[in-house]
Amino acid sequence: MHTHKPLVRWSLFGLACVLVIVIDMPIISLILNSFRSTAEILASTSLVPKSPSLLNYVYVAQRTSFFRYLLNSLVMAGGGMALSILAATLAGYVLSRFRTGIFQAYGTGLFLVQMFPILLALIPLFILFRTLGLVNTPYSVIIMYTVAQLPFATSMFRAFFDGIPHDLEEAARIDGANRLQGFALVVLPLAGPAIAAVAIFAFLFSYNEYLIASVMLRRESLFTIPVGIQQFMQQYSTDWGSLMAAAVMAMLPTFVLFLFIQKYMMYGAIGSGVKG
Amino acid sequence: MSTQDGKIDGETLQPERKVSRRKFLRVTGGAAGAALLVACGAAPTTSSGATGGQATTSAAGASGGATAAAAGAAAGGSSGDVQFWDMVWGPNAYIDTAKKVVDQFNQANPKIKASYQSNPWSSWPQVFTTAVGSGTAPDVSTGGGYQAIQFYPQGAILEIDDVVATFKPDDFLPGQVEAMKFNGHYVALPWGIDIRIPFYRKDMFDKAGVKPPTTWDELRPALKKLTSGNQYGIAFPGNDNAAWQGMWGFVINNGGGLFSKEGKLDVMNDRTVEALTFISNLVKDGVVHPGSAGFSGDDMMKAFSSATTAMVMFVPGTEERVTPETKQNVQLLAPMTGPHGDKGTLLFANNLMLYKQTKNPDATKAFLKWWSANSLPIWTEGKAGNLPARTSIAKDPYFQNNVYLKRILDEWVPIGKLTGANASGTFPVLADIDMGGAMKTMASDILQGQDVKAALQKLEAAIKGYKTFKG
Amino acid sequence: MSTRAIPSPSRELRPPKRSPRFDSFPFILLLPSALLITLINIYPFATGFYYSLQDGTLLQSGAFVGLANFVQLFSMPDFLHALWFSMLFAVFSVFGSWVLGLLLALLLNQEIPARGFFRVALLLPWIIPSIVSIVSWRWMISDQSGLVNVMLQAFGLKPIYFLSTGRWATFSVIVVKIWRSFPFMLLSLLAALQTINRESYEAAGIDGSGSWQAFRYITLPHLLPISFVLWILMTIWSVNDFETPWLLTQGGPSNATENLSVLAYRYTFLLNNVGIGAAISFFTMLLLMVFAIVLLRRQRETT
Repeated sequence: MHTHKPLVRWSLFGLACVLVIVIDMPIISLILNSFRSTAEILASTSLVPKSPSLLNYVYVAQRTSFFRYLLNSLVMAGGGMALSILAATLAGYVLSRFRTGIFQAYGTGLFLVQMFPILLALIPLFILFRTLGLVNTPYSVIIMYTVAQLPFATSMFRAFFDGIPHDLEEAARIDGANRLQGFALVVLPLAGPAIAAVAIFAFLFSYNEYLIASVMLRRESLFTIPVGIQQFMQQYSTDWGSLMAAAVMAMLPTFVLFLFIQKYMMYGAIGSGVKG
Repeated sequence: MSTQDGKIDGETLQPERKVSRRKFLRVTGGAAGAALLVACGAAPTTSSGATGGQATTSAAGASGGATAAAAGAAAGGSSGDVQFWDMVWGPNAYIDTAKKVVDQFNQANPKIKASYQSNPWSSWPQVFTTAVGSGTAPDVSTGGGYQAIQFYPQGAILEIDDVVATFKPDDFLPGQVEAMKFNGHYVALPWGIDIRIPFYRKDMFDKAGVKPPTTWDELRPALKKLTSGNQYGIAFPGNDNAAWQGMWGFVINNGGGLFSKEGKLDVMNDRTVEALTFISNLVKDGVVHPGSAGFSGDDMMKAFSSATTAMVMFVPGTEERVTPETKQNVQLLAPMTGPHGDKGTLLFANNLMLYKQTKNPDATKAFLKWWSANSLPIWTEGKAGNLPARTSIAKDPYFQNNVYLKRILDEWVPIGKLTGANASGTFPVLADIDMGGAMKTMASDILQGQDVKAALQKLEAAIKGYKTFKG
Repeated sequence: MSTRAIPSPSRELRPPKRSPRFDSFPFILLLPSALLITLINIYPFATGFYYSLQDGTLLQSGAFVGLANFVQLFSMPDFLHALWFSMLFAVFSVFGSWVLGLLLALLLNQEIPARGFFRVALLLPWIIPSIVSIVSWRWMISDQSGLVNVMLQAFGLKPIYFLSTGRWATFSVIVVKIWRSFPFMLLSLLAALQTINRESYEAAGIDGSGSWQAFRYITLPHLLPISFVLWILMTIWSVNDFETPWLLTQGGPSNATENLSVLAYRYTFLLNNVGIGAAISFFTMLLLMVFAIVLLRRQRETT
């Protein structure tokens, strides 16, 4: 980080402002459109609504199951996030500390499975979940979200743990701790930033995911937001006003989460663990 | 964070090693078994939730089936669960109304418990295929125009010849029931009619001094007059199936089609080529909105609402999708006469299909018959976008007092033909033609000014490559 | 915070002392992960491969046809086009999002007022569901009254129908993909940038960190290892991306923007031809594996 003269700082600030406006334009127009009726959205050519109204929001809040969808989304995204962090910290630790053939192979395998397209897996998985009695339950979706995140989350944790010296665990061992304790009480508490980073990756993925949820959840009371808002779409027309209002409302929780957690993400052990 | 932070407090870490390893085993065992635990925990939930009709548990399903069979044998009222999956056929009010109609059915038929599940259009191919493929299909559903014939050859659809036999010929609008016939069997029951019809903006026509055309010969110069600057004669939504469907309205208007009367594939016939050449010439005239190839239905409606296109070939209810002020200017065109004196347009028969996986065929058929006769509110209150196939419903003042809907029913529906034209009935390759993308590609090709014959040859090759294509 | 957030892969980690007998500890820790992967990935993977050797639908298994489906792919014009488009799409969107992410990361690494706000604001494209952001994009570019065209017309230019010709649609799909992906690049590169010591610049005798020389000889080499990883991940995600082309153009106009994922979807679910659909998916996977392995080798050579 460098200190610049005020002139440089403020011109960089101006540049950043312009970039934010340009880059976020689709989101800005989405928010502005959410204050318009569908007919006005379709007829209007200007960016700013002529007669902004909150009717879309009132409609979504009162006449649709939006909050039900929101709760479902939070449960499923949160569940997927928690489970993937649990499984990935353990696996990431093993892959970081044990470097014999079988674990190397597991790491490579994990890296490769993420190339398998989910589309093709839908029917076998549906049959599998039916056998387990998990169809039409949040668990099926939570498990799928967990697995979808595992390769990436594991490699992030592995890279992070690579950066934590072994001396720490060894010191603990000398003090009488066993290996699990060495991991759980010494290494894990240091992994806060990596956990934060994985958490937000996993949460965002799950919260916005559509395909898996649309196939696995066949009851309206279980719909997540991305599935629920599709109900505003008919075959040849869409209630854009409600859809955009619902989208803005759906953005809020992720936005808040983001504000709180983004600082940690900057330090996250992103990526570099993919070593095959 | 630094290394020092990770300092160990030795006092707290003294337990004996073996014990803690066992403890650890328990912990990890629990974590690893989470999925299984979840499975066990969830199973009862699912079966108790099976009142929703999802045939996830064989026990519930089997007992339901047994009851239904018994009831059927007793020849009394049938009973059991009926799960009905419905597409989103109208604005937000539609889903609530359809649920209400299902409730009415349940009140009228206390022995049957029907449940309603709404499906978004965007995921229906994978949702239905997954459900049928994994044995969790609903008992009855609406769906794509050719969904019944898509699943029928794979043994998933229940024939309903017995249900159809209970109807009188004039219970449905002409041709609708026959549209469901394949190999002598009825694979579905029609409930709605979707059709492609031309709308125009009277204000733009008046300003350009153009009278509504009654023939193709009048249409071409009219569209030329309507085009100036940023304003165009006609638009198609090329990003949507509605584009090829609109064009196919012209093809059928000219007596063309994909198949001969004998059911042979006949893409390159003179009438089809002529009709599409007519469209292609409109593109070359510059009267087709230049954005057409990439437009969604909404983009096209945007162009129509903002007076940048004077005509669209679209769906019933188009007039409801503009602002109230604009609506006064939106008019329906009367059927035009083609160069050889033909009239016609493309029509879809929306249908209700039963699945073979149903455990309660009798109850489901009872539901089917009831729904067919009593679903008027899905139009009057739910504002479904299509038209009813049932004569008794079409007679309702809701349709007869609405100038647009009445004209569509009186003038357009009688001359409508299906995608299978000029062959009759329904057959499997139509599902692939309807959904497979080749028709859309053909329409985009023409909208981008490519050669008509080349576009049709590409289409023909694609159809011949479909697995469902038979000679 | 320490500087080890992005560790360089250190190979000389001491292996933990191992007793000659079987050590179950790492296996137990791996159990949850391995169990889930086996359940959710391996089983469908095997089923999918089985599909690809058959001539069936998702509802009925057909005859065993061996590798015929794979052979057939290469005589299908739509497959060859999708293969070409997928490569184009991946190369430009990976490169584009990396460059944009890098530029923005360099900017956000400067000391500017309200840096925290910009950091969140520039990551926004990442946090909204694709269906919604793409709808918004369509609203901005699809016709002459869209925002982009209103601006073009204000400058006296003719409107461009961005989704209505093959070339412009290809361009637009890539731009939208870059827009959806750059935040991930930005975040990762920014994290890496923050681990560069100022001393590195001084040690190299370069005056200040703002110069081209500093960027060329210190910053860029430092970012190279993570960039390799980002390129690989982004390539996988681009090639497997179904939502961007499907929601924006449905692969149109005239299949111009149909990638391998959309093509596999079309064959599997819209044409009931799961043999071809699965063969497309497996071919895609094979292609990605080869690519990843080659790039990982390169990475090991360079770093």
